[in-house]
Amino acid sequence: MSDDPMQTPRATKGRAPDVFMPGGWVPMREYREDEKVDFVIVGTGAGGGTLACKLAEAGFSVVAMDAGPYWRPLEDFASDESHQSKLYWTDDRIVDGLNPLQLGSNNSGKSVGGSTVHFAMVSLRFRPEWFKSRSKLGYGFDWPLDWREMWAYYREVEDALAISGPVNYPWGPPRPRYPYRAHQLNAAALALAEGCEAMGIPWTETPIATLSAPRGRARPCVYRGFCVLGCSTNAKQSALVTWIPRAIAAGAEIRDLAMVGRVEVDRSDRATGVHYHRNGNWRFQRARNVVVAGYAIETPRLLLNSASDRFPEGLANSSGLVGKYITVQSNQAVWGTSDKEIRSYKSPPSLALTEHWNYEDEGKDFHGGYCYMSQGPEPQLWANTLLSGRGLWGDALVSEMQNYNHVVGLKMVGEMLPQERNAVTLADETDQYGLPIPCVTYSWCDNDRAMIDHALGFMGQALRATDARDIWEQTDDTCHLNGGARMGDDPRTSVVDADCRSWDIPNLWICDGSVFPTVGGVNPSLTIQAIACRTGDRIAAMARRGEL
Amino acid sequence: MTERYSGYDVMSKRNGPSWNDKTRQVVDDRLATPRGPRFFSETEYRTVESLADRIVPQPHRVDPIPVADLVDARLLAGGQDGFRHLGMPPPGEAWRRALAALDAEAQAAHGANFRHLSSPDRDGLLHCMHEGRLDHPAWQGMSSQLVFTQLVAKDIVFAYYAHPTAWSEIGWGGPASPRGYVRTGYDRRDPWEAAEVKDGDAAAAIRKNRRVR
Amino acid sequence: MRGRTAAIAVSGLFAAAVLGGLAARGRRRPPARRTRRDHAARQLDWGAATLAGSVLFDSAIEHYRGSFEHLGMYVPLAVASASMATSLSGGRCPGQLRTGTSVAAMLAGVAGLGFHVYDISKRTGGWSWQNLFYAAPVGAPGALSLAGLIGLAAQQLRSGDWPSDQQSGRALAALASAGILGDVAEVWLLHFRGAFHNPAMYLPVTVPPAASLALAGIAVGAGRPTLQTTRGWLWATAATGLAGVGFHAWGVHRMMGGWRNWSQNLLDGPPLPAPPSYTGLAIAGLASLRMMEDRHD
Ligand SMILES: Cc1cc2nc3c(=O)[nH]c(=O)nc-3n(C[C@H](O)[C@H](O)[C@H](O)COP(=O)(O)OP(=O)(O)OC[C@H]3O[C@@H](n4cnc5c(N)ncnc54)[C@H](O)[C@@H]3O)c2cc1C
Ligand code: SF4
Repeated sequence: MSDDPMQTPRATKGRAPDVFMPGGWVPMREYREDEKVDFVIVGTGAGGGTLACKLAEAGFSVVAMDAGPYWRPLEDFASDESHQSKLYWTDDRIVDGLNPLQLGSNNSGKSVGGSTVHFAMVSLRFRPEWFKSRSKLGYGFDWPLDWREMWAYYREVEDALAISGPVNYPWGPPRPRYPYRAHQLNAAALALAEGCEAMGIPWTETPIATLSAPRGRARPCVYRGFCVLGCSTNAKQSALVTWIPRAIAAGAEIRDLAMVGRVEVDRSDRATGVHYHRNGNWRFQRARNVVVAGYAIETPRLLLNSASDRFPEGLANSSGLVGKYITVQSNQAVWGTSDKEIRSYKSPPSLALTEHWNYEDEGKDFHGGYCYMSQGPEPQLWANTLLSGRGLWGDALVSEMQNYNHVVGLKMVGEMLPQERNAVTLADETDQYGLPIPCVTYSWCDNDRAMIDHALGFMGQALRATDARDIWEQTDDTCHLNGGARMGDDPRTSVVDADCRSWDIPNLWICDGSVFPTVGGVNPSLTIQAIACRTGDRIAAMARRGEL
Repeated sequence: MTERYSGYDVMSKRNGPSWNDKTRQVVDDRLATPRGPRFFSETEYRTVESLADRIVPQPHRVDPIPVADLVDARLLAGGQDGFRHLGMPPPGEAWRRALAALDAEAQAAHGANFRHLSSPDRDGLLHCMHEGRLDHPAWQGMSSQLVFTQLVAKDIVFAYYAHPTAWSEIGWGGPASPRGYVRTGYDRRDPWEAAEVKDGDAAAAIRKNRRVR
Repeated sequence: MRGRTAAIAVSGLFAAAVLGGLAARGRRRPPARRTRRDHAARQLDWGAATLAGSVLFDSAIEHYRGSFEHLGMYVPLAVASASMATSLSGGRCPGQLRTGTSVAAMLAGVAGLGFHVYDISKRTGGWSWQNLFYAAPVGAPGALSLAGLIGLAAQQLRSGDWPSDQQSGRALAALASAGILGDVAEVWLLHFRGAFHNPAMYLPVTVPPAASLALAGIAVGAGRPTLQTTRGWLWATAATGLAGVGFHAWGVHRMMGGWRNWSQNLLDGPPLPAPPSYTGLAIAGLASLRMMEDRHD
């Protein structure tokens, strides 16, 4: 049998890989397929991995499946950009619209641990008003959640991930001190700070999910800077090394290389389990509850692919909103060349940031907010940025690449507005499992463009205030996917309720980035995990009251 | 071009603490990529070479980076980017179509296949392609601009910067695990990083770069 | 490799200082009967030497990390080695040389303090936690001054310029108490930076403050705690300093790549040579107690 984790499942025979030891194993409980487990969870990323842990720790029987492999970062991860593309979801997908998205490396992962295995670890809280952006700020949609409750769940996640952050956070209502201290700033972060000080706005060290001191069996960050290509030291507090080991210890089973193709629903409109593909065969796992947590493209796709006689438009889709209102974030940048050596390949890429324009509403000609942070592209990514963003190739490219060590940049994460036309639908073509592939349509709106203009202008000024020269704008990038199965108070205008329970099928839940009604101006993973923690607690409470 | 990181060879770190076994294996495999076409046909392969020659020129290099072989290997392995535009076929098929279309364009404009054109003529066609101004039927509905930035030029650039020779050229620290970096502020360099030629003093940089392990 | 050369050079300095100092000491036979004063002086020598040794290695590592960007960064290495050598040689070292090195150490420490304060104030963010954590440590050069002061005290005591009496004892106790407190501040800062991730990290911010407090009590003549109790706390502090080296060695092992990745982890991991500064100061504190007892002589 091959020991390639991309070919042969590792979590079998009552054991799962020990992520902290090359070649190591930990014991894992296994469930029979004909045994009705309390929960089967589709996807083990920020949403699914977290919820698997919470539910298992609450005493439920849990099987969590992921289409991706089960890595042991210490032995499986190379310091190599090309090779590490094995972490991305690169199955066939079609993009369309006026501003087609670039997916793959940019958006979603396919691993036990999901996209958190290769995310950049930036761990920010929503601005409280964003949970009620329609009523408080006049745009987007209200969430059915209260920020004060979320504040407590953010804390739970920050503790679970031992977030390294500043001693005092400059924006928003007071928050408790981050569990770990901030990392030493690299040159790229210092340039951000200099720019902010010149512009007279506050900046801070980015709260980030990588260790600044040892923790359990995980070792602290060595500042190798390959974070978005997978962390080979386990300093990165991904779901793979945090929630999932906890879930297994609490009795959950993880099934790797298990692609779910369909959620089965019976005559009484209750989900009965999932059809999944593993080891070359289609199989069926029975379950009392099904949680879909495949992220903003795969979650709607699975719900649409599970259409049946009783639900011809797909599951949980009586509102017609499954796959609608997907929302990415603007990720434009300004770049320049410094006389100083920056060498931004060292350290996690975004060690400093400013949330000024998330919290300041004066002087904006657009809705929503954005933050911006320092950057640290590795060579291939940088060369491709010069090609696609600046149009360089040939001698111009090769010689500009010589300035690599002097490049300094600022990149925004901005709130795009949710629009119904931005959607995931099914294409006619099928993938390697024979399942219809998703088509992702995306177009920016005027508000999106106004914010991008504002951000590019402001970041440009900030960068000019440092010694950077040759400043140029990268105008085309987006990042992070959210929405597609949004939560709300009203079954007619949302797919799930505040507890991530679908309105249509009471034992079908959706718990990942797709439940976001709006995206806010910060990276989403902390909020996804906080929602998953809340959902876990709510489910446990409902079970105690017999409401499941 | 004067070398900015004279004497620096990222491979000198191969056996040091900056490389783990997995990295050694991956880079060794890449350096051992077989030469010659395997995914492409012989003529397609020559066209890819003549493309790479314009997109990442390396005229003075004694031991050039085998860009075409690396592109070929990736396509052979079925490498995908995870998305394609509506109307675009999967990467392998799109590559073949693009190469054929380039030949068709070259024939139409200059009466010869792309790989036989002079460098300026090839550059001229590539400029048009980059700007989306090529629309011969041979493109079969694909946007030449998208094919350029998101497929052909992109794959070539990725292949070039996947090679240690290119890493050394730009003074990148290279693979870094288990050892990462200690000195990360402005103008700070760890002894295991490339030293830049400063004030024209190549000898000083070479001395430091020879000590990189 | 440069790191290795530097390591060898610093170890060489250390060895030369130790051997030189001890050789000088051993050249003449000790006096037939030692007085308490001699004992106290000798103890102060040991304290000063330990402290200087800690400074030597700590500044070597930190300044190596700083790539010895300017010549001034070599100063603490030179001065700390000299101060270690003269302290170890005890009474055998010519008085003027001894005074000279001690004063040099005191001045170098003050100058270092000035440099470090300047370094922080000119950085982006100024007096922020970030710079307190990661810029040149504010308090560290103070240890060199303390080594100088203690060395000077040893010499004055031995030469009789300074009486070994209650008053001198108290003064010295005050000095050691303040020194320990300064050290505690530094350790607290760095262990806070490490988020006190290991419970053992609380040890050096609990035991030494108790010793410092006890010494302060002695210094002001509060009558409490007893010399005996204070001595206990001081021994515990000295032991904490030594144990710290062990803990920190374990800490280096816990970093990615462990000891094999020493070129990173000796710099980024917990500083091996720092904890014995507690030991040096505690020994000086013990010497002060001995002086207090002189009346019983
Ligand atoms: C390069 C990059 C950098 C990022 N940086 C940050 C950052 O700094 N901060 C931040 O907050 N966020 C960041 N993100 C975003 C963040 O990673 C995601 O928002 C988050 O992980 C999404 O969580 P999720 O649970 O919704 O989905 P994921 O974490 O993507 O998990 C989904 C999982 O479901 C599995 N799956 C999907 N469909 C199926 C199926 N049918 N059957 C079985 N399994 C399935 C997938 O394999 C995947 O493992 C980044 C993302 C990327 C790509
Ligand atoms: S910089 Fe830190 S978090 Fe990022 S990959 Fe390296 S060790 Fe992991």
